[in-house]
Amino acid sequence: MTEDRTRRRVLARVLLLPIIFLTVALLGGMRVAVDRSFVFLPPPLVTLVMAALLASLFMRGRLVRLEAWLGSRHGVLANVSHALTLLALFFASAQAFNSVLPEQGLLHWMFAFFFLWTLWNDQFSPFDPFRLLRSLGVLFGTAFVLKHMILAGLAAPGGSWTQRIATAIFQGLSLGTLDVPAVAPATGYISFFTLALYVIGLSLVAPAPDEPGDLRPLLREARLLTPGERRTLLKELEDEP
Amino acid sequence: MRYPLLHATGIATTLAYAAFVVWVYATQPRTLKDVTQGARVASGAYAIDAARYDTALSLFHRGLFRAAREEWERADPARADARTQFYIAYAFYREGWGRLYHDDALYGQGLQAADRALALTRTGSLIVDDPDLKMHTAAELKAELEKGREKSWSDLNPMRVLEERK
Repeated sequence: MTEDRTRRRVLARVLLLPIIFLTVALLGGMRVAVDRSFVFLPPPLVTLVMAALLASLFMRGRLVRLEAWLGSRHGVLANVSHALTLLALFFASAQAFNSVLPEQGLLHWMFAFFFLWTLWNDQFSPFDPFRLLRSLGVLFGTAFVLKHMILAGLAAPGGSWTQRIATAIFQGLSLGTLDVPAVAPATGYISFFTLALYVIGLSLVAPAPDEPGDLRPLLREARLLTPGERRTLLKELEDEP
Repeated sequence: MRYPLLHATGIATTLAYAAFVVWVYATQPRTLKDVTQGARVASGAYAIDAARYDTALSLFHRGLFRAAREEWERADPARADARTQFYIAYAFYREGWGRLYHDDALYGQGLQAADRALALTRTGSLIVDDPDLKMHTAAELKAELEKGREKSWSDLNPMRVLEERK
């Protein structure tokens, strides 16, 4: 029974996780044009910087313990497999940002600045994996709503008088730099699916690959304890025969 | 190490999928049909529609170049067959050829098709053994198309009208 569970966990780690993250990498840059043709946008350089900052956050927040994923205690195949999974995670992060970043114009740089500022500030905040995941969910969710619901609504061709007036006002406020390309509604759905898949993938990542699955809820609970309570718990555990 | 087979399968699958993702971004397919067609070309499973190819060839030999080209485009939608692209280029050449002047636009499109034929001929050179043609390789055809697009004083030579279409 335990052997089966371990095998399933290894299978999820070496097969399911890379597939999830590579799917995010594939769909993150995908847009559907108004004529329903596909456009694949490779990750801009700024999203690679963001992904690097996010990778640093993953390590600081102990969502990924690099020393547990890679090292001499694993065999060559396991190390290669883990390295590929982490690489897929990096590119998935870059493409998740690409998915919610406006493609060009002033808004592209405003969103990029917003992301970089948040990620930079987070570097100096105390984090645990659960809080980090929640924070990322909020960050991507906000950007998704802004890009695919508000901006896409403003850039959509046709529309009502109020929409046209709002677009004109927005154009004026942004000094004519509102340069959002019109895309088919399917783009928003693809982006939503991509982000959902990314968050699911992140929630499946174990800080250490060999960590038993049952331990994670306990550790999460333990992180909520006060320092005094933690000391008492440790004492109890040590005293146990 | 435990489960080496699982790890090896994971590595192989990840690398194959990553290669697919890179391929998609490199080739920029515009439709799902493009994706499947491209995948067939990449895997070597792609084959042109032989019946359409033969129809196009008979149209070409009867001098119906535009119709022939359209049939060839349908026979080779992925533009992945060197021989078909050679014939498309040849059809552009013959349609664009004129005793007094050559059609630069058609010659330009012919050049593009000749370039595709050359790019698709990875090893050796493509030799088309068709007695109706006077040029049998893509390189010859390309050179002729380039020559036709060049502007020079020899264009004013009245003896040019005696030149033969190849």
